[in-house]
Amino acid sequence: MGLVSAQSVNAASIYAGEAKAAAVCSQCHGIRTPSADAPFPPLAGRDADYLKTALKQYRDKTRKSDIMNAIAGSLSDDDINNVAMYYGRLKP
Amino acid sequence: MNTIKKHLPKSVLIGLAAILLPFGAQATSDTSKNTHQLYEDNCASCHGSDYGGFIAPGLNADSLKGRSPTALRSLIMTGSFDTLMPPFFGRLSDDDIRGLVKYLQTTPKQANPAWTIDDIKASIKVYVKDESTLPAKPTYAINSMDDVIGVAARGKYGRGSGSKAVFINSVTHKQIGEIPTGTAAHIIDYNPANPRWAYVKTDTAEIFKVDLYSMQAVRSVKTGFNGPGLGVSRDGKYIMAGSYVPHNAVILDADTLEPLKTFELEGVDPDGKMVSSDSGMIIGTPFADIFAIALENAGQVWVVDLKEGFPVTKIENVGRHLHDAFLSHGGSKLMVASYDDSIVTAIDLKDRKIIKKLEAGCVPHVGGGSVVEVDGRTLGFGTNFGDCDKMVVSVWDLDKMEVVKQVPVSGGTESPAAHANAPYVAVDIISKDRRARTIQLIDKKTLEVVKTLDVGGHAYFPEYSADGKFLYVSAGYSGDEVVVYDSKSLEKVASVQMESPAGIFSHGRVRYMTRGLSPDEMKGAK
Repeated sequence: MGLVSAQSVNAASIYAGEAKAAAVCSQCHGIRTPSADAPFPPLAGRDADYLKTALKQYRDKTRKSDIMNAIAGSLSDDDINNVAMYYGRLKP
Repeated sequence: MNTIKKHLPKSVLIGLAAILLPFGAQATSDTSKNTHQLYEDNCASCHGSDYGGFIAPGLNADSLKGRSPTALRSLIMTGSFDTLMPPFFGRLSDDDIRGLVKYLQTTPKQANPAWTIDDIKASIKVYVKDESTLPAKPTYAINSMDDVIGVAARGKYGRGSGSKAVFINSVTHKQIGEIPTGTAAHIIDYNPANPRWAYVKTDTAEIFKVDLYSMQAVRSVKTGFNGPGLGVSRDGKYIMAGSYVPHNAVILDADTLEPLKTFELEGVDPDGKMVSSDSGMIIGTPFADIFAIALENAGQVWVVDLKEGFPVTKIENVGRHLHDAFLSHGGSKLMVASYDDSIVTAIDLKDRKIIKKLEAGCVPHVGGGSVVEVDGRTLGFGTNFGDCDKMVVSVWDLDKMEVVKQVPVSGGTESPAAHANAPYVAVDIISKDRRARTIQLIDKKTLEVVKTLDVGGHAYFPEYSADGKFLYVSAGYSGDEVVVYDSKSLEKVASVQMESPAGIFSHGRVRYMTRGLSPDEMKGAK
């Protein structure tokens, strides 16, 4: 998995993922960990495919969450790929 | 964000009306009491206990006039992405959030809440009763206490388990201890006479006396509701603290934290109006047994003599909306930033007079300031928020008291760092976009920006280690780490994780007074 994803991802998308993560996701989920007092799950090191699926479900509202439906709704397919890849490769 | 204007409370009458309400209104006042408590527990440490604003904007009927309640509700839920405002989704119920919005949009800024010398005295908590049981030397390996660097970690929500003072050995870059502070730590100051004591002040105006040898708080005291002002006298016997809410300052015994005298901060401002005032910077100086305190709104600097009765000399007309300051010339000269005039006023602490008003950038916020000796000149560096078109770092010749250069930088800045042994003056760019991730480095000799570091997160409050070999920077919100660079090669050498780090304070500051000066010059100046 590590090898395959390393080869299938170019540096630009990781960088874009980092920028998007810093601007959007990290507000609640943090970069490596969310706040100790926060009710949000950590994303760093989670399976990238799982993150992609979850974000797409939030975006098309097949998975319900007031806040995630709104936030994922603003993400493009590229954004979702980049962010999922970025967090997936990050060590918690 | 830091240029909040404070006004005199106009709400005394409304407060009286609340007391005189008939029984029928009891239900409503219970609700507003609960909502006020909710505000105190979640919002007040940044937005001010009087709803008038502190490090974040005021939240009251006046400041929120015309804002859409729906937009405010979603802002509270998601937080504000380019600021310290965290997401309250999952922490506050939707009903609570709606209730807060409704309450704040209809409630005026409150009158100064009372916090008297008796309240201060009663708030003292003792965690270590017998200080003679404390270890005689540090319980961890460290060459010199100067190598201790303290970081004020705010915690994501400005309170909770992430709020603490974190201490790091700046030679090994390993954490050596942490002091939980309950609410966001803001300022860390060190006792110049005894290296074991540090004082940590929070955004809710509590001061913790910390034993650095055993890395624990031994006492604490609550000096007000909000306000970062904190200074330690040169003999290490007194500390002085000042508040935004209420408008007062207090001198405490540095040993017991017992309050000795309080000061009501009010005076005639440069426009001839009598005003009640927030406390700006408070500073002790190696030059004399005094404290200097800036009255933000009154535009005055008060010099308090540390003798019987603590008499005050008032220096008026220093500027409009004063904030922070730094010392030079052995601590005999004080450079005070004035937001609204965009000047820095030089004050002679010996004669207690204004020397000169110097042009600064737009809305100067000098942080701790920096002073460096270059080619026989004493140069002061001042940052500024740059909320208008002029984005520069000011450099002044502090012997001649004149502007040497206004160095163009890429955005507003908040705090400069310098060290006698490091080639660059580091400034933090705080403009609210990608630039906020960066630190710019100004060459001491050419006075030009030579390098921009992309630190990640909201990068601010640079600080050099006491030996000048390393540059520490807080990658604050959306970064959650302190990043360490080699001060010459500017290669990243380490990272220390913590929640929303902000101010960084080297123990070396007690030896060089202002960052950039060497301890030798300090001796010469005396």
